[in-house]
Amino acid sequence: MGFLTVLKKMKQKEKEMRILILGLDNAGKTTILKRFNGEPIDTISPTLGFNIKTLEHRGFKLNMWDVGGQKSLRSYWRNYFECTDGLIWVVDSADKRRLEDCMKELHALLLEERLAGATLLIFANKQDLPGAYNIDQLKESLELDKIKTHHWKIISCSAVTGENLLEGIDWLINDIAARIFTLD
Amino acid sequence: MSFSIWWIFTYYFRPLIKWFLRKTTGLCELQRICYGTVSGAPRINGVEHSLNSSRSKQIKQLVDHLNDIAENRRFTGANEREILKGAVSTVLIVKKINPKIHYQFVSAFGKCVEQIWGYKQLISEVEELRQTLFDSDDFSHERRLYDLWDSLMPDEKLESRVTRQWQIIGFQGDDPKTDFRGMGLLGLENLLYFSTEYKSSAHHVLSHSFHPTYGYCFAIVGINLTSMAWSLLRDGSAKTYFYNTSKSLPTIRLFHSFYSYLFYEFDRFWVESKPRDIMEFSNVKNKFEQKIRTLLQNPRTEFRISLSVQNV
Repeated sequence: MGFLTVLKKMKQKEKEMRILILGLDNAGKTTILKRFNGEPIDTISPTLGFNIKTLEHRGFKLNMWDVGGQKSLRSYWRNYFECTDGLIWVVDSADKRRLEDCMKELHALLLEERLAGATLLIFANKQDLPGAYNIDQLKESLELDKIKTHHWKIISCSAVTGENLLEGIDWLINDIAARIFTLD
Repeated sequence: MSFSIWWIFTYYFRPLIKWFLRKTTGLCELQRICYGTVSGAPRINGVEHSLNSSRSKQIKQLVDHLNDIAENRRFTGANEREILKGAVSTVLIVKKINPKIHYQFVSAFGKCVEQIWGYKQLISEVEELRQTLFDSDDFSHERRLYDLWDSLMPDEKLESRVTRQWQIIGFQGDDPKTDFRGMGLLGLENLLYFSTEYKSSAHHVLSHSFHPTYGYCFAIVGINLTSMAWSLLRDGSAKTYFYNTSKSLPTIRLFHSFYSYLFYEFDRFWVESKPRDIMEFSNVKNKFEQKIRTLLQNPRTEFRISLSVQNV
């Protein structure tokens, strides 16, 4: 039995997952996290540093790491890559001006070795705003079809209305669980 | 267990003790507080507690009436004097106090009422400003944003409305409008007040934010501190500050001063904590909030604004 197998067995017992939430600033990372956790979302300030929340969901213990997205903080993202099971990339679907920036950051992230095994969920957030790009438009502008290294899925959502948040997180959990908890 | 004992004590014994003291001293509880407790937060807290736990029907009505006025922000100008007069005379009648003999009580009690409901009114005023979203189509909002820049960076001109320069004063990106988020216009007004009314202190703090290791994002830290100041105000913890500082009806300017105090103190706390990098912000901020809450718990704390030379 290798070391990795032991680690995986230990994780299996606790059914614990580490999920990293990233994206450009003002994408809605903290709002998604708070909304999912049932906290009020009308008093959020920009995240400087990071927030951690541990949630129980469907018998899993989810360690959610929400790291600030402004440019000067992006160099610190790497400090949170270790042991990440799932990556949630949050996109502001209405911010067309910065989609290219968003695309570049995402693809750079996927080259990271320490994120190699992680499942990738892309939340096309802010669907409630007029003029928001739909999934197909985002797939094209973010060049998602080029991603061959990770299991990925894009889901449209709105953190304000709560639409599709559960569906997205459930898909992420199922994909991770299928990978790490069904060894035997 | 201890809760129910306390409840029995306050419900049955408090009136008994009050009755006994009233008979022996000839003064009602409100008078004893106004004469026997130092002015500022200790006295105002005492009066507030006494009024809120009163079982007299007229006093209860008075409290409801004043709450209603404060929530609707009608506690201003000439109206304020009328309301204060009404509140004082209600208490004089209910408690059978002769105003000619106890003229000191009249003035001391009136001041307490002014602070208690002034604070409540301020919460509603601050809340409205917080709920006003920053709107780039509103000229007055935009004007305030430019004022903030001019005040912090007097020697540098903004190249355009959307520019990287905003990051110099610590906004996240090229356009500050989305950074105000849940704090709305309150975040901007707080920053602007600190930068204009305490100009040299703000420049001092801003210069720290450029430090190679202990540097931080001035505006974003500021917006996070707005959130802290707002929650301290709303849950009542900030009463100590307001009751001990305010000499007349508290206004939004006093809230801005409270914010400025927090900003200046946070900067010092941050530098003294020697953080490894900006990712320690949440941690340091929580410790700072704990420190401030401890200070506010002591009603005798005086908040001498130790800001460096203030601009007049």
